[in-house]
Amino acid sequence: MPELIAPIAGNVWKILVAVGDKVELDDELVILEALKMETPIYCDDAGTVTEIKVKEGDAVNEEDVLIVIG
Amino acid sequence: MSRKQTPLRPYFEKMAEIGKELREGEVRRSQANVELVREQEEIIAKEILRVKNAGIPAEKIHQRGGMTIHDRLEYLVDAGTWSPLHSLYNPNDNVEGCTGVVNGIGKIEGKWAVIIGFDNKVMAGAWIAGQAENILMVTDMAKRLNVPLVWLTNCSGVKLMEQETVYAGRRSSGAPFYRHADLNHLGIPILNGIYGTNPAGGGYQGISPTILLAHDNANIAVGGAGIVGGMNPKGYIDEEAAQALIEGTKNFNGKAPGRVETHFDQTAYFREAHDTEQGVLDGIKDYMRMMPAYDPVMFRVAEPAEPRLAVEDLNLLLPANQKRPYDAIQILSRLTDNSEFMEYRPEYGREVFTGIAKIDGFPVAFIGNQQGVFPGYPDYANGEYPGVGGKHYREGLIKQGEFVTLCGRDNLPIVWLQDTTGIDVGDLAEEAELLALGQSLVYSIEQTELSMMCVVLRKGTAAAHYIMCGPQANNNNAFTLGTPLTEINVMHGETAAAASYARRLVKESEAGNDLAPTLEKMNQMIQDYKDKSQPAYCAKSGFVDEIVSLTDLRKYIQAFTGANYQNPKSITPVHQMLLPRIIKG
Repeated sequence: MPELIAPIAGNVWKILVAVGDKVELDDELVILEALKMETPIYCDDAGTVTEIKVKEGDAVNEEDVLIVIG
Repeated sequence: MSRKQTPLRPYFEKMAEIGKELREGEVRRSQANVELVREQEEIIAKEILRVKNAGIPAEKIHQRGGMTIHDRLEYLVDAGTWSPLHSLYNPNDNVEGCTGVVNGIGKIEGKWAVIIGFDNKVMAGAWIAGQAENILMVTDMAKRLNVPLVWLTNCSGVKLMEQETVYAGRRSSGAPFYRHADLNHLGIPILNGIYGTNPAGGGYQGISPTILLAHDNANIAVGGAGIVGGMNPKGYIDEEAAQALIEGTKNFNGKAPGRVETHFDQTAYFREAHDTEQGVLDGIKDYMRMMPAYDPVMFRVAEPAEPRLAVEDLNLLLPANQKRPYDAIQILSRLTDNSEFMEYRPEYGREVFTGIAKIDGFPVAFIGNQQGVFPGYPDYANGEYPGVGGKHYREGLIKQGEFVTLCGRDNLPIVWLQDTTGIDVGDLAEEAELLALGQSLVYSIEQTELSMMCVVLRKGTAAAHYIMCGPQANNNNAFTLGTPLTEINVMHGETAAAASYARRLVKESEAGNDLAPTLEKMNQMIQDYKDKSQPAYCAKSGFVDEIVSLTDLRKYIQAFTGANYQNPKSITPVHQMLLPRIIKG
């Protein structure tokens, strides 16, 4: 199943979708905050959000799975 | 059979293609960004209209049978080439709402010129505060680009109620006369179309250029008729003196000195006198045809071409949210011919890109900040922190310094695309010699004889704004542009507030005092920084020479490039250039 991966370490600032939401390629799903910058994470595949593995405020590492899309 | 080609064809005819088409999703999610760009564009457009309408209404000038400065420019400048500068410049917040001169770069009869004229709607072109600095920026630009300076003089002299704001000082309203002498000395001609009454300062404004062309109703003189007849030995005005002044004024029917019958018929200062305003402008056009200018073919390395990727994409690509990263090469690809770029040392100093592109077929160097996060970089941080786009580190500073030096050797004009938050700070950065390397880049720029232009795409912050050929690079920077997303300040407002009030907060906290008054001051400071970093403020204060729509950036880069190659003072034969060979390896 396609997964949304954190490209950098940082804090989860905003989660813009909920489980069950339909998403399209290039939709903005999560915004990480690191080094005073917002790093938006975009959807690589169209589908439905089946699982959100983080919550706002969480610290994540590079390569961590943020969202699963079915 | 004769054969012809552009020089170093294997290097320049086809460079590496950069950038990629925007995907549907990217376009969709960036629509809000487009709106934010438009909001700022509307603010700027309103301000420009306000300045254009400064002074008496244009209709009044038209009713008198005259032309406004904007009419004159419209008639004089080749269609589609006018690139205005300093439109909103008004650093002293004059009540007139402007500095009384209108200027920019444009083509006249197919040749680039720096063009400036007095706004005859504003106190008949009086000297007002900030005007001299505006003029000096323009004369410096003509000097830097080595192109003619064209004046449309219509100058009533000092606004007498505020003489102290224009008269005294090193860079005051007399300084342009020295600049004119300097330009003449350097072989840069100044054409002067003269209209209206030009006494005293206006007289020297009239006489100091190279070629003088006058309208029949124009005059230039050491002093005006009012000054000639108004000498009063008492040193003050009493009833008696006032009556004498009233009578004198009522009965005054003298003509202003320095009229065409003097300076055309007697002294022959004026090369031409014209009975129509358009005639003067036609005379300037005649002289512009005589100006030295190489055929562009002399320096082109390829046929001119538009960017392969849509320029309009820029409004989608450059995030209005200053905290958002973006792909700087995507921006560059919307500016260069065919969206091509020959990058210099892409693997070294990843926080900046450097390289050669083509603009209208001319070779031009580009330097800009990359954005994003660079894990494992810089080396000297030993993994303690990652590199961040917009910041400068050791490798990037070294790369920029050596690239600028090589551009100087190859005579490549440089366009800087600045979006910088500063140079890395801290003990590791100091040990990595960033202080010296920043100044070393300044030294490299100063050592060249190159023209450069700077675009502050978004952020211009801290010393990084200087070292990336900001307007402080007086001898090289021809002009600096901002965009609807530009934000220039020495540091971010929140950082400045913390730096200013952190100790006080500690003190108040330890004393058990209410923090609210200090917090209020901090937040006021943050708001003040925000207000004074906005595009319109940047233009008004002279942080930039003009705020330009993202889609107009290429037009200004074309003007800069074309002017630079019109009559260069130094030439590197293209087949002897070093940089393309170094890049190829």
